[in-house]
Amino acid sequence: MALEVKNITKRFGGIHALTDVTFRVEEGEVFGLIGPNGAGKTTMFNIITSMFPPTDGEVVFSNKRLTGKKPYEITKEGVCRTFQNIRLFPDMTVLENVTVGEHCRTKSGVFASVFRLKSQKVEEEKIKTKARELLQLVGLGKYEDTFADNLAYGQQRRLEIARALASDPALLLLDEPAAGMNEKETNDLFDLIQKIKKLGITILLIEHDMPLVMRICDRIAVLNFGEKIAQGTPDEIKNDPHVIEAYLGQEEEDELA
Amino acid sequence: MILEQLINGLTLGSIYAIVALGYTLVFGVLGIINMAHGEIFMFGAFMGVVITHTLQLPLALAFVVAIAVTALLGLFLELLALRPLRGKKGVSHLAPLISTIGVSIFLENLAHHFFGAGNRPFNTSFSEISVQIGSVTIYAVQLVIFAIAVLLMVGLSFWLSKTKAGKALRACAENLEAASLLGVNTKKMIMMTVVIASAMGGIAGILVGMAFNSVTPQMGLTMGLKGLAIIILGGMGSVRGAMAGGLILGLSETMIVVFGESGYRDAIAFIAIIVILLVRPQGLFGQAAPEARR
Amino acid sequence: MLAEIINPYYLQVLSFILINIILGVSIYITLSTGQLSLGHAGFMSIGAYTSAILTLNYDFPLVVGVILGALLAGIVGILIGIPTLRLQGVYLAIATLGFGEVVRVLFINWESLTQGAIGISSIPHFGRELVTGLRDTGFTADMIGIRNNQLISLLVFIILLVITVLLITFFVRQNHSRVGRAFAAIKMDENAAEAMGINITYYKVLAFAQGAMVAGFAGALYAHVTAYISPSDFAYHRAVEILIFAVFGGSEVIWGPIFGATFLTAMPELLREVSEYRYMIYGIILVAMMAFRPQGLIDHEMIYKIKSRKKKKKKVEDDKKERNRHGVGS
Repeated sequence: MALEVKNITKRFGGIHALTDVTFRVEEGEVFGLIGPNGAGKTTMFNIITSMFPPTDGEVVFSNKRLTGKKPYEITKEGVCRTFQNIRLFPDMTVLENVTVGEHCRTKSGVFASVFRLKSQKVEEEKIKTKARELLQLVGLGKYEDTFADNLAYGQQRRLEIARALASDPALLLLDEPAAGMNEKETNDLFDLIQKIKKLGITILLIEHDMPLVMRICDRIAVLNFGEKIAQGTPDEIKNDPHVIEAYLGQEEEDELA
Repeated sequence: MILEQLINGLTLGSIYAIVALGYTLVFGVLGIINMAHGEIFMFGAFMGVVITHTLQLPLALAFVVAIAVTALLGLFLELLALRPLRGKKGVSHLAPLISTIGVSIFLENLAHHFFGAGNRPFNTSFSEISVQIGSVTIYAVQLVIFAIAVLLMVGLSFWLSKTKAGKALRACAENLEAASLLGVNTKKMIMMTVVIASAMGGIAGILVGMAFNSVTPQMGLTMGLKGLAIIILGGMGSVRGAMAGGLILGLSETMIVVFGESGYRDAIAFIAIIVILLVRPQGLFGQAAPEARR
Repeated sequence: MLAEIINPYYLQVLSFILINIILGVSIYITLSTGQLSLGHAGFMSIGAYTSAILTLNYDFPLVVGVILGALLAGIVGILIGIPTLRLQGVYLAIATLGFGEVVRVLFINWESLTQGAIGISSIPHFGRELVTGLRDTGFTADMIGIRNNQLISLLVFIILLVITVLLITFFVRQNHSRVGRAFAAIKMDENAAEAMGINITYYKVLAFAQGAMVAGFAGALYAHVTAYISPSDFAYHRAVEILIFAVFGGSEVIWGPIFGATFLTAMPELLREVSEYRYMIYGIILVAMMAFRPQGLIDHEMIYKIKSRKKKKKKVEDDKKERNRHGVGS
C-alpha cells in the first residue's frame, strides 16, 4: 500500500512549481513533507489528489496509477486529505460534515432514500454510528450538533481530520494540521496522529512546526523551490547542510522583511 | 438589394455594439453582468420619444435629456443595487446578477406604467433624410448611427489607454484592492463606470428608436439579451470584441431575414450564447484564463 | 352547506399557489447544488407543450401526457446539464437564460405544431376530464349538493394538493439522505466535496435534471389547469418569477421557496392594489433581499432553532412524564 511519487513536474505558465520530484511513502509510516513557504508542498498534495494534473510524471498508490483519475476516484482508492486553509462545509453540523466523508463508502441512491428502504435505514444508522466514533476519536464528541462554522479554529482542524478519516483512507494527507494551534492543541494533535497511525493508516504530513515534525515523522523529504533537496530520518534532516541552508536563507529573508 | 441589406446589417450591428460597450465596461471593471443595462437603454429611447414627440422639442435636446436620465439611472443602480453588496461577507457572486435582474424588471414595469404597453412611434424629420446612390437608399440616420458607434469606440479606447482617469479605471479592472491601495478612489471610479456605461445605453436607445421608428417597454429586454450575447461572443470586458461581436450579430441577423427565416432572427443571439459558452467560453477575442490554481 | 363554502375562484388561486410551489421546488433542487438556472421557464414550457399536444392532437390520456411532458423536460435537462457543467455561476445563469429564449422562439415559430404566438387553446382540462370520468361511474356534483364548476375546482385543488405534498415529501426525504448531503456539500464547497469522494458531475447533472423535470411537470399541470398556453406564458418574466420564489423565501431549505411561492402568489390576490404593481414589487424585493438578506427569509438557522425548540419542549415533556411516573411509583 505504498505511495510512489515518480518524477513529478508542474509548471504554471512559466513558473516551475515542482521539478522532477520523486519520493516513496511506505505503508504504516508517518512521512513528513517540509520546506519553506512556496516550496511546492501543497501543489504536491493537489497533484496526488488530482485537483490538477502534473505537467510530467505520475503518482502510483498500491500499484494503481492515480494520475489521470478524478479527485473523487482517488478518495475511493483510499487516499484522502485535509486542507491548509480549512475547507469544512460551514452550514452543516459537525456530525453532518463527517457523514459526508463516508459518501464514497456508502451506496444509497435517490430511490432507496426516498422510499426509505430497509437497506437505506440500516446504512444511515451505520453512517451515524461511525461518524460519532470518529468524533470521539478526535475529541469532538460533545459538539455533534454545532455548526462547523461555530467551532474554534483548532477544533475545525480536528473536524477536517475526522471528515477525511470517514472515507476509510489507507493514506491520509494532512496539510499543515498544526497551523494556528497553541501548544496544548499541538500536543493533542500529536496524540491524535499517533492514534491514527496505530489504526494502520499511513500519513503524509505537511507541517511547519518543526518540533512536531521531528517528533512524529519516521522519515522526511524536504522541498525547496520545487525541488527535493533532501530525504531521510529526522536526525539526518536536522544535520543536512542543504536543509540548513534552505531554512537559514529563509530566516534571513524574513529578518529583512 | 444585398448591398442595402448589408448597410442595414452594419447599422444594426453598430447599435448592438454600442449596447454591448455598456455591458463590457461594467464587466471589465466590476466583473459583474449588469442585467438592467437593457432597461436603462429603453429609458433612453423613451426620453427620445417624449422630447421629440410629446413635447415637440428638438432632437439635440432629446440626446441631452436621454444621456442625463440614463446617467442618473446608472447612479441609482450603483448606489441602491450594487454598492450595498460590495465587500459584504457571505454574499455570493450571483448576488449582483440577481440584484440587477431586480432593477431590470422594476424599470421595465415602471416604463409600462409611465408610457403604456404599446408601441410608440419615433419619427423625426431627421429620420426621413436619405441619399440615393444607384439603386441603394441610405438614410442619414444610418450614417449617424455608424459614425456614433465608431466615435464611441475610438473615444473609449483612447480614454482608457491615454487619459489618467482611463488608466485609473483600467487599474481598477485589474485589481480593485490594489488600485485602492495605490490611491485610486475606487468608489468614484466604479460609480463613473456605471454612469458612463448607462449614458452610452441612453445614446443607443435614441438611435434605435430613430432607426426602427418604434419604442416599447419590452425592447430593453430583447436588446439587453442581445448585448449579453455580444459580449459573450466578443469576449467579456473586451472593447474591440464588443464592436466586432455587435457587427457579426447585426449582419447575421440581417442575412437570416434575407434568406426568409425572419422568425428565427431573435434566436441567433441566444444560440450564439450557448454555443460560444460551451465551445470557447472566453469569447472570440478574449484570452483563455490561465489554469486556475485551487 | 358545502355549496356555500366552496368558492371556485379561491380554489383556483389555491391551485395556482400549488403549481407555483412546485415551480419553487424545481428551482430549489437546482440551486441546492449551487447552480443558478434561468431556464426553468423553458423547461416548464417543454412540459406544458408536450402534454398539451399529446393529449389534444394524439388523444393521449391526460396522466400519460403529463408524465411524458415531465420526462421530456428532464431529458432535455440532462442534455443541457452535461455540457453546461463546466460553466460557473453567472455563466451558467446566462447560458440557461439563452436556452429558455431559444425554446420560446422555437415554440413561436414551429407553427404547424404549436400554433405559434397565438398559443394552444381548449387543452383537456384536469377537472372537467375527471368530472366526466366520474359521471361515467355514476357520481355527479349534485350528489354532494354542489354545482358542477364547484366540483371541478375542488377536484383540481385536491389532486394538486396531493401531488404537491408527495413531491415535497420526496425531496425532503432526499435531502435527509446521502444524496441530499452530497448536494449540500457541492453547494458549500465544490472542490472539498470532490476531495471527500463525491462524484460532482453525477450529482450536479442529477440535480439539474430533477429541477428540469419538476419544472416540466409543473408546466404540464399548468397547461391542464388553465386549458390554454402560449409562448408568452414562459418568457423571461416567468423565469424571474420562479427565481424570486427562492430568492425571497430562501434557497437554503426547501421550506423557503415553498413559503416564497405561497406568499408571492397570494399577495396580489389579497391586495388588489398590489397586483397592478406586482412586477415592480418583485424588482424591489430582488434588490432588497440581495442587500439585506441574501439567503432569503427562511434559512438554516431558523429551521434549526425551530427544531431545537421542539426537541427541548419534547424533552421537558418527557422529563415531566418521567417524574410523574416516578411520583406515582413512590
